[in-house]
Amino acid sequence: MASKADQFKNAFREEGREVLVDLESALLELNDNRADQELVGRVFRALHTLKGSGAMFGFEDMATFTHNLETAFDEVRNGRLQISSELIDLTLSALDQIRAMLEEGLADAPVADPAACAEILSKVRHLTGKPEKQAKGKVKQAKSGSKAKAKAGAESNSSSSEQVREWSIRFAPGADFMLNGANPLLLLRELKQLGGLAIRASMAALPPLHELDPERCYVSWEMVLSTPAGREAIRDVFIFVEDSCELSIEPLQASYSAAPSLAPPLSSVASEAELTARALEDKRASSGGRRVYDAPDNATSLRVPAVKLDQFVDLVGELVTVQARLSEIAAKNGDPEIAAVSEEIERLTSSLRDNSMNIRMMPIRATFEKFRRLVHDLARDLGKNVELTIEGADTELDKTVIDQLSDPLMHLIRNSMDHGIESSDARVANGKSTTANIHLSARHSGASVMIGVSDDGGGINAEAVRTRAIERGLTTAGAQLSEQEIFAFIFQPGFSTAKQVTDVSGRGVGMDVVRQRVESLRGSIDVASKQGEGTRVTLRLPLTLAIIDGLLVTIGEAFFVLPLANTQECVELTTADVEAANGKHLAHVRGELIPYIRLREHFNIRTPRPEIEQIMIVETEAGRYGFVVDKVLGDCQTVIKNLGRFYRHVQVVSGATILGNGTVALILDPERLAQDAVRNIAHGPRGRPASQTSQGDRERKVARQRAS
Amino acid sequence: MSIVLEQSESCSVLRLEGAIDIAAAAELKQMLLKALEPAVQAASNEVCLSLEGATDLDVTAVQLLYAARCRAKASGVEWLIDADVPEQLLCALNETGLQQYLVPVDDR
Repeated sequence: MASKADQFKNAFREEGREVLVDLESALLELNDNRADQELVGRVFRALHTLKGSGAMFGFEDMATFTHNLETAFDEVRNGRLQISSELIDLTLSALDQIRAMLEEGLADAPVADPAACAEILSKVRHLTGKPEKQAKGKVKQAKSGSKAKAKAGAESNSSSSEQVREWSIRFAPGADFMLNGANPLLLLRELKQLGGLAIRASMAALPPLHELDPERCYVSWEMVLSTPAGREAIRDVFIFVEDSCELSIEPLQASYSAAPSLAPPLSSVASEAELTARALEDKRASSGGRRVYDAPDNATSLRVPAVKLDQFVDLVGELVTVQARLSEIAAKNGDPEIAAVSEEIERLTSSLRDNSMNIRMMPIRATFEKFRRLVHDLARDLGKNVELTIEGADTELDKTVIDQLSDPLMHLIRNSMDHGIESSDARVANGKSTTANIHLSARHSGASVMIGVSDDGGGINAEAVRTRAIERGLTTAGAQLSEQEIFAFIFQPGFSTAKQVTDVSGRGVGMDVVRQRVESLRGSIDVASKQGEGTRVTLRLPLTLAIIDGLLVTIGEAFFVLPLANTQECVELTTADVEAANGKHLAHVRGELIPYIRLREHFNIRTPRPEIEQIMIVETEAGRYGFVVDKVLGDCQTVIKNLGRFYRHVQVVSGATILGNGTVALILDPERLAQDAVRNIAHGPRGRPASQTSQGDRERKVARQRAS
Repeated sequence: MSIVLEQSESCSVLRLEGAIDIAAAAELKQMLLKALEPAVQAASNEVCLSLEGATDLDVTAVQLLYAARCRAKASGVEWLIDADVPEQLLCALNETGLQQYLVPVDDR
């Protein structure tokens, strides 16, 4: 079991990673908006947090290193240093080293490079004009709290007039302040370094001994600080605990006039009267009554290890399966009391499932934002001007999906930057802006989320891809292929049309990684490209990988589940309807002709067809499609089980689930089924690329095997 | 760090040694409750706190000791602090304004 110190370190690591993501994003935004003081402040605060918290949690090297950068941005804040490309690039390089220092001690963690660190610091000092000795001395103060830092803090944060002002400060740590490893003593010492400080601690919120939570901080402080430093400099002292405390900083003049009695108590001590009052409070405690400390905590969020969430969701999944069994037994039993309890459990399980799924949902913003750095660095290395724009960053999807998305997106962006986007000269010659654009987007679509990576580069040369595919034996010269099918070749292992392998791409590995990762997430890829105008790659991914609402249907003896989120309605299909359509697979639904797919035929299930079949009308990216089944049994909560590596190429089936009676039902992927049907209609099996033909055959075979 | 409780019929002595911080808070609370329990019942006993060997007391420790002092007062139990409180401890407590809650002015 990890010690408390290790737990604090790990908690700080998690926070530190978030701070680094924000810092990187702020730096890259600052690169584009160099006069934006808010961004300067954001960078400064992030560096200050890393320095202060780092020192507090034992990351001394990191605190020392970061202090020099903080000094540089303090100079920027005070107008003594201009933002330059050099400062941004140096800080970004420093950020990589800080990241390594933060992860130090963890398995497979990157290691900070002392030589690179020294070089970065030397360049930063050159920019700020601060000699090495002074900077070093100040860093030490970040932890030890010596007077040099006080002076530096007062100097760097002072108002231009250097006039000493008095500030009234109220600081009340939150309930989990101490549990987070914070120490008020260190904060008060740092505050004292800004000037003269009078302190009064209050235990007004302290409960009686037997009710007291020993690890919670009940003390609050009222202080008067005499300092030339401004409000922001004072606030910076508390910057890394601001989320877990109540803090007010007011100029004392105003406070005096409003409450003249504030100053005298600062020098007073805990009087005998106060002690007596508290003793009386202690006596009253047994008789009940609400006191100050009974007020609920103000905490609005909790940090929970991801592994605990995974276990929780797994357990909910098991509960859903057992609940399905209970419903089945209750239905067979016929006892109304058992049926009532079963229904109640079903309702509660459904709520629990929705809640547990919601807990796992995260906005994709952090994943998108970190690519700003990749675009910035690659643009510099490739000598291209590229801007990254982001849309739908607040779109939420399952944490597991987000965790798996970084690699595919990175490869897609690298590919766009290297092969898609032309040189500035070529862009000008083609009448385009010298600054190219890469656009990352996310949006919900039914039970899926659509992640788009598009560029306004040269587009994919479909003919070159086709020629390369023929050379590699992936298709034949006479094959009739749609553009979509041609573009699908770029995701084949080792496939590349690049004449030259660069540091960035060209080995034909990246896009294969994209395909594998997206398939493992039960997603799909769509490529659209127009020569000279650009390329758009869309990843369609499931919102969640654990439990979905489904509609349970049968075909012959086999059970299937269709995701409820995509399903719009269910209509009957009689023999007369089929005859009226002259055998064409088209249903007439309230004046609209909807093409349908007979799943019986698609999966080659050889059982007699019922007189009246059911068409499930489903919304897909390709439009509304019908899926013909024998019977619709009703809705069901579906715990998705992976089909395993052996079936990973099966695309029309997104997983399996265990029903209440122990039967396995395959979960169908309507999007893939629709795409498959369109392909069949357009070309027939012969016209498709060899790999896809065999894949389609495999899908039908597997579905048949699983269904039977 | 060690928290030792020595009990006799008339007095309980609680000795705190080393750094008493959040890691020791739960144990300190139990010891204080234990120290006060017989004293509360007898209502005439004394609780004496010895800090001679303590090197550091954090906020959690000070608030526990103050809550214990309040409980002792409410129960008519005498709360005493051994005069040999290390200077460095008092200085650190003074920096946070907590000294008053640990050592009454008159006791110093």
